[in-house]
Amino acid sequence: MKLYYFSEMPHHEFPDGEGEKYPSLRLDFPNRFFSPETAAANYQRYLAEYEFADQAGFDGLMINEHHSTPSCVNVGANMIAAVLARTTKRAKLLLLGNILPIEDNPVRMAEQIAMADLISGGRVLSGFVRGVGIETWWANTNPIHNRERFEECHDLIVKCWTEPGPFRWEGRHYHFRHVNPWCLPLQKPHPPIWIPGTASPETAVWAGRRGYTYVPFLVSFDVARELFDFYRQGAAEAGRTVTPDNLGFLICAVAADTRAKALEAGRYFVWRMGPTLRGPAEYFSPVGMRSRAGAQFALKTRPRALAQMSYEELLAGHFIIAGTPDEVTDRFANLRRELRIGHLLLEAQESRMDHPTTMRSIELMGAKVIPALATV
Amino acid sequence: MRPREETISVGGIDVHAWIGGRGDPLLVLHGAGGNRGWTRWVQQVSEHFTVWAPTHPGFGSSGDADWMEGIDDLARFYLWFIDASGLRRPHVLGHSIGGWTAAEMAAMSPRSIDRLVLVAPVGLKPETGEILDVFYYPPPQLLSLTVHDPTTIPEWDELFGHKPTPAELEIATRNREMAARLTWKPYMHNPRLDRFLPRVTNPALIVWGREDRIVPVECGEQYRRLLPSATLTVLEKCGHLPPIEQPDAFARLVLDFLSAPVAPPEGHAPA
Repeated sequence: MKLYYFSEMPHHEFPDGEGEKYPSLRLDFPNRFFSPETAAANYQRYLAEYEFADQAGFDGLMINEHHSTPSCVNVGANMIAAVLARTTKRAKLLLLGNILPIEDNPVRMAEQIAMADLISGGRVLSGFVRGVGIETWWANTNPIHNRERFEECHDLIVKCWTEPGPFRWEGRHYHFRHVNPWCLPLQKPHPPIWIPGTASPETAVWAGRRGYTYVPFLVSFDVARELFDFYRQGAAEAGRTVTPDNLGFLICAVAADTRAKALEAGRYFVWRMGPTLRGPAEYFSPVGMRSRAGAQFALKTRPRALAQMSYEELLAGHFIIAGTPDEVTDRFANLRRELRIGHLLLEAQESRMDHPTTMRSIELMGAKVIPALATV
Repeated sequence: MRPREETISVGGIDVHAWIGGRGDPLLVLHGAGGNRGWTRWVQQVSEHFTVWAPTHPGFGSSGDADWMEGIDDLARFYLWFIDASGLRRPHVLGHSIGGWTAAEMAAMSPRSIDRLVLVAPVGLKPETGEILDVFYYPPPQLLSLTVHDPTTIPEWDELFGHKPTPAELEIATRNREMAARLTWKPYMHNPRLDRFLPRVTNPALIVWGREDRIVPVECGEQYRRLLPSATLTVLEKCGHLPPIEQPDAFARLVLDFLSAPVAPPEGHAPA
């Protein structure tokens, strides 16, 4: 099982009481609380942590993107990928991912991902996401078109990578007279495509049909299994065999020298489960963004929001894993057994978890957890 | 007089409609909240006009129209509807997005309709204020922003006073989805509508609630300035739903306007 390091690059250096005055930290919390000086220092720090994860032995570095929120100040996944393409050597660069429905120019996106793949020597794993509703508001893209745009944007990007130009694209949402990108990926036929999932059965089936790597985010084992079943259903329709390499899972995790220190550090993940997800349902799931099936599945699978769970419940449910290297190894191995996955994505820094704690966790994962997992 | 319900097939879409009354035809186009049916004001107006109150494609129990992208598509659809239903030159009354639809229809084909009643229509970008982002609010909060004072609304209990059934919730969701499809961007307006309206010489009555928190009353002034033959009536202590909030006063305004003799030309037809 391969391990991936991930940071949301948060900007949590404001008084929490200020954030609580607004309906949500996303969209509403005014950017007068954004500090350019702090953010500049944070980028240096977070990039250094990513680079250390590469050196420590992580198989991949996961990079994401959000907008209009202090929970994630990585506003350009491809920009960070380009930086890490130069400053790291071995780890895969897992973009998870580019938010397709809000993209107005899939040709430019195809070029940018290709460029990161070229600079990195073919290390890009290209994740595509539908995004949470916040990004739909941010981009002012009609949520009704979310899935249609996701699929059409995907189709055009893949065509850019795989079919010789020039060609014309006249779709429902995208129109390009001359498509002939002079920047194509190093990996052939194109970088592997990854798809995350939280609640949409359609996305799981869609990914399964195409054989893309599918990764549920922060769901219970039961829900993950159900989503994997939808994935297998799609794979079966296309006559594909599903192996652990097709399946991943994302959790929050931190290792420390003692259990007490790890549990203290693990508490920082509670911020991303609660305060950063606080807000009206309309913000996260604007009208029409979810199909009826998706909405029903979400209701069934999330009878209790992550925000309503205590730290202890989040630990017990494997949403957060915090412990000594031995404890973390055991939990990871259990997860691999339970879900039969080939990729484990670790959100490994959050909120105000400081640099030394983060670096020590990366170091312990690299020195102890990753080698131990290879043998258990 | 009780209406009849019909399903009318237009352009491949089965449209549900309430039809009833007597007199010249009046096509009533509902707002984003959906078709509220034969409410008190409709009952009163139908004593003198034959009311056709269709449910927009994609709303309520009407068929899907996933190909539609904007209110101009809905306006084209209702011009087809007028032909298909044999409503020769009906009066058209529209509320909110229905008002915007009526204005687009008049801009596209002014001779297809007689008089226009625009009730708190969206469609124009306010010169100073903003149209409230109705998709940003949970439905209960939106309802409280939509009306001025629920205690003065005679049909409040019938329309809003009970917990919605699952079927009603499904329709409400469907209505919101179709409204989003038609109005998301540019939000609730057509940046070119102000170029079209000066060519619409049909007599027009514009009705607004003084306390409208969804569409600023200044938009009523803008419509009045742009339409050559329009008058604006602003109802006091009224929000975004004049037909529901003040049904008797509203019905009287509509009847007076539609029954008035044809005014002589005012001599400012467009060049």
